[in-house]
Amino acid sequence: MAVTVSNLAGRKNLWPWLLLAPLALYLALFFLVPLGQVAMMSVTEPRVGLDNYEKVLTGTLYRRVFINTFFTAALVTVCCLLVGYPLAYLMNHTTERRAMAILLLITMSFWTSFLVRTYAWMVLLGNNGPVIWLLATIGFADPPGILFTRFSSTLAMVHILAPYMIMNIYSVMKKIDPALIRSAESMGAYGTSLFRHVYLPLTAPGIANGSVLVFVICLGFYVTPVLLGSPTEQMAAGLIGHQIEQFLAFGLGSAMAIVLLIVTLIVLWIYSRRFGLDRLYG
Amino acid sequence: MTAKQRSMLVRPSRRRFLQGTAAAAATTLATPHIARAQNTELYINSWGGPWLEAATANLFDPFTEETGIKINTVSPVSFAKLAQQVRTGVYEFDVTTLGGGDIVRANEAGLLEDIEPPYEGALFQNGAASHAFATKLAWRTDAGWDGTPQNWADFWDVERFPGSRSLQRYAARVLPIALLADGVPMDELYPLDIERAFAKLDEIKPHIRVWWTGGSQSTQLLRDGEVDMIGIWHGRYYEALDAGAPVAATWNQAEIDRAYWVVAKDTPNMEAAKQFVEFATSPKPLAGFVTQGNYGALNPAANEFIPDSALPRMPTSPQNYPLTFEQDMANWGGDPHEVSMRFDEWLAT
Repeated sequence: MAVTVSNLAGRKNLWPWLLLAPLALYLALFFLVPLGQVAMMSVTEPRVGLDNYEKVLTGTLYRRVFINTFFTAALVTVCCLLVGYPLAYLMNHTTERRAMAILLLITMSFWTSFLVRTYAWMVLLGNNGPVIWLLATIGFADPPGILFTRFSSTLAMVHILAPYMIMNIYSVMKKIDPALIRSAESMGAYGTSLFRHVYLPLTAPGIANGSVLVFVICLGFYVTPVLLGSPTEQMAAGLIGHQIEQFLAFGLGSAMAIVLLIVTLIVLWIYSRRFGLDRLYG
Repeated sequence: MTAKQRSMLVRPSRRRFLQGTAAAAATTLATPHIARAQNTELYINSWGGPWLEAATANLFDPFTEETGIKINTVSPVSFAKLAQQVRTGVYEFDVTTLGGGDIVRANEAGLLEDIEPPYEGALFQNGAASHAFATKLAWRTDAGWDGTPQNWADFWDVERFPGSRSLQRYAARVLPIALLADGVPMDELYPLDIERAFAKLDEIKPHIRVWWTGGSQSTQLLRDGEVDMIGIWHGRYYEALDAGAPVAATWNQAEIDRAYWVVAKDTPNMEAAKQFVEFATSPKPLAGFVTQGNYGALNPAANEFIPDSALPRMPTSPQNYPLTFEQDMANWGGDPHEVSMRFDEWLAT
């Protein structure tokens, strides 16, 4: 035994890599190789060249869908922030019991299947659902349809993604040293001034982490906008699926996927330059 | 054994090799998996819903009983997967059904195995004609209208029949409907006047609340009253009706599609797949399938096994068929692929 331990100690630098090897191998095999194939298809299908990229970057439909995708992702991120920040603040400034109860509620919705939550929104927002009923009861003679609009798809996506935002902000808020707030107060910072100059900057990493996660995940959303959104607002993932399923346009679909990936990486790169990517993990 | 594992074992390039080794190995090393995968399991692409119920009771279970070949279903129905299977040699399903529009493309792309006609006149583009289904006009009876919609022109008439609408997101089915709404008679539809169809579609676009993409979605839209009028597959309409929803429909100007059983090119389960296609289009099983699923049998020999009580719900029955029209992909009027692309751009604007 002693021999083994000393051997391990001697190879201290190798050990973490050994532990990492299965995962690295797994990722290489089941992520990088298929990704490489997708990249290959984008420049070889139906013939070798950059035709697909030219189409994606110049076609009005594709441009419109990409702009809509980024707009939607930004909108959802902002909404998640507006909902998540006050909630995280509340969790941090209430009793431990209440904070746990709120956390439990958030994680419970988080554990529920994606599709179930989407269908639940269809029931809630549908013409015969409680929301329309309530609107009619309080005096809307002819309540507007809510389902199949940008509003309903945004609402559902915010619901699905808000936990990422809340967890990130909450974990950062929890780590703020109360002494900092007290000393700020002793220097005469109160109310909005205290919030703007002390509290908000201290929670900025949480905001940035949450926003990047929500934004990036939202870029790839597929089912929710298709089932809940309006026909005119399409997301890139939906269009990629449609291109392949309907037209067997594997090359064009691949090119769109690669463009989406590159833009996502650019967002992460900007974030990494500004805040450091390691912050995403804790 | 999952489809993937099975597929890896029997990639077509190695199939012959494996058959040989499997036979040899079976005696010495006992490799029952390979032997079983080749002979007693079949993977069929399923449409789900009422289709699957009718197919399981009348085609899948009786086939297994007769031949001992186990049937597994794979969903959803995917044309892209059919193409990808042949490209990669990894098979998820051996048998699927295709509509008239897709089968031409699939056969031209070499995705379909050559098959023998199971009955006279069965073959079209390497598919065995199985059953007819229709896209018909259906509506909510609680919409509060004076009178009932009679045809697609009424679908477009938002003054007389106010309310939201839904159609399938599928150009090949929607364009002929738009022309009928514009007054083109059913027997003069083809070749389609594409420009005129799009101009007519412009009129109804603001009133289409959803362009449905899945069968179960269309049932839900009608059943839950999300839309007041819908162009819907007739089987899905009856599903909503049987669920007790206040709905009605007309056979007038219903659009008939034919569904064909096809065998995926080079599939490792070729023999069982062909055997199944023959079984599924033979008179008795087909009669049971169309009776339960409300489809129209395309093998005329099946008709003598169909009870009269089933006829009112069948698109091809003597009383309904004269009211309907059929898709004509051979004389369609344009490149369906290009028109679909244009339809997509039109949708997004």
